[in-house]
Amino acid sequence: MVGATALSLEGLVAVDADVVRLRRGDLNALSELITRYQNRLYRYLLRLVRQPAEAEDLFQQTWLKVVEKIRSFDASRNFDAWLFTLARNLAIDHLRRIRPQSLDEPLADSWHSETVADRIPCKDDTPLDHALAAERRTEMSEAMAELPMMYREVLTLRFEDEMKIEEIAQVTAVPVSTAKSRLRRSLEQLRYALEARHPGGTWQ
Amino acid sequence: MSEHDKIRELLALAAADALTSAEERQVAEHVRSCIACSNELEAWRPIASELRRLPTPQPSPWLVQATLARAGAKLTEQAERDWNRHVMIVVVAFAWLLTIASWPVFHFVTGRFGSWLEPQFSHTQFGQTLLGRTWFSNTWISFTAFTALGWLAGGVAAVMLTIRQRGERRLA
Repeated sequence: MVGATALSLEGLVAVDADVVRLRRGDLNALSELITRYQNRLYRYLLRLVRQPAEAEDLFQQTWLKVVEKIRSFDASRNFDAWLFTLARNLAIDHLRRIRPQSLDEPLADSWHSETVADRIPCKDDTPLDHALAAERRTEMSEAMAELPMMYREVLTLRFEDEMKIEEIAQVTAVPVSTAKSRLRRSLEQLRYALEARHPGGTWQ
Repeated sequence: MSEHDKIRELLALAAADALTSAEERQVAEHVRSCIACSNELEAWRPIASELRRLPTPQPSPWLVQATLARAGAKLTEQAERDWNRHVMIVVVAFAWLLTIASWPVFHFVTGRFGSWLEPQFSHTQFGQTLLGRTWFSNTWISFTAFTALGWLAGGVAAVMLTIRQRGERRLA
């Protein structure tokens, strides 16, 4: 436990140091930050726009914006929230421009993509367990993709990025109480969507 | 709204670990005595658990490199612009100092040999009241001509430097 905390604190300091170096125009710091945030930021953008090509373009635009605005960033603040807010604003502008209806309507395509690592079975699972788990994940991904953007967003920030409610409120620029009720509604919507796939039964 | 209904609204958030410690205590206390809420909480848990286990989609392998190339170029451009701005401030300050410091020398030389700089209206009353000669107008017209030449040379140098930097950036 102590080791994990130390590691976590060490990671936090490293991020702060990179941000400070980036403010001074250090190219290596930029490289380290892009590498560090590549999976989280890409996943967040993909959850919002649901199209890999668009998410990758927005990923690049986000880092251009970071470079442009890094001097106005207060290094004592939460860099994660600031970065995700920049990405969010760009994604919303993009969605408004490209598909005005996509901010609150579901899209047929699923953003779910399975990695090679996901296909490697766990030693403790039987092939049947693994197949059932994969099926549950696919169902979950598809149900989540059917939700409106603001619900997908809050779910990915809470469960995938493991942000606290206060951080979610900061990223989405709403009061904490709104972020909380949005999370509750998104979970309820997700549950309805999952249970609708199993008429007469519950999703387990 | 009854206590039971209030707690029921918190169950999804309890599974999401998004409650305050006071709310967590309330929920824990209630579900110990309410089977319906206990079952409801258990129904939320696999959903929250599955959400945490969703596979992380992987970006294209080239994305980091492409992003670094674009953002890095912008960072370099910004650093170059800042450097130019600082150099410009120093050069302008230096130019002014040099101009002001060299003015007495220039005036001494032109006063002796550059009588062509004397303006036609130099015998104005105002000019004559200053030490009995055309000191005021001669000084300012000559000073303006002197500094204008300096600024012109500086401006040409700055334009040439910018064109060269743009050319180098395009080649890079």
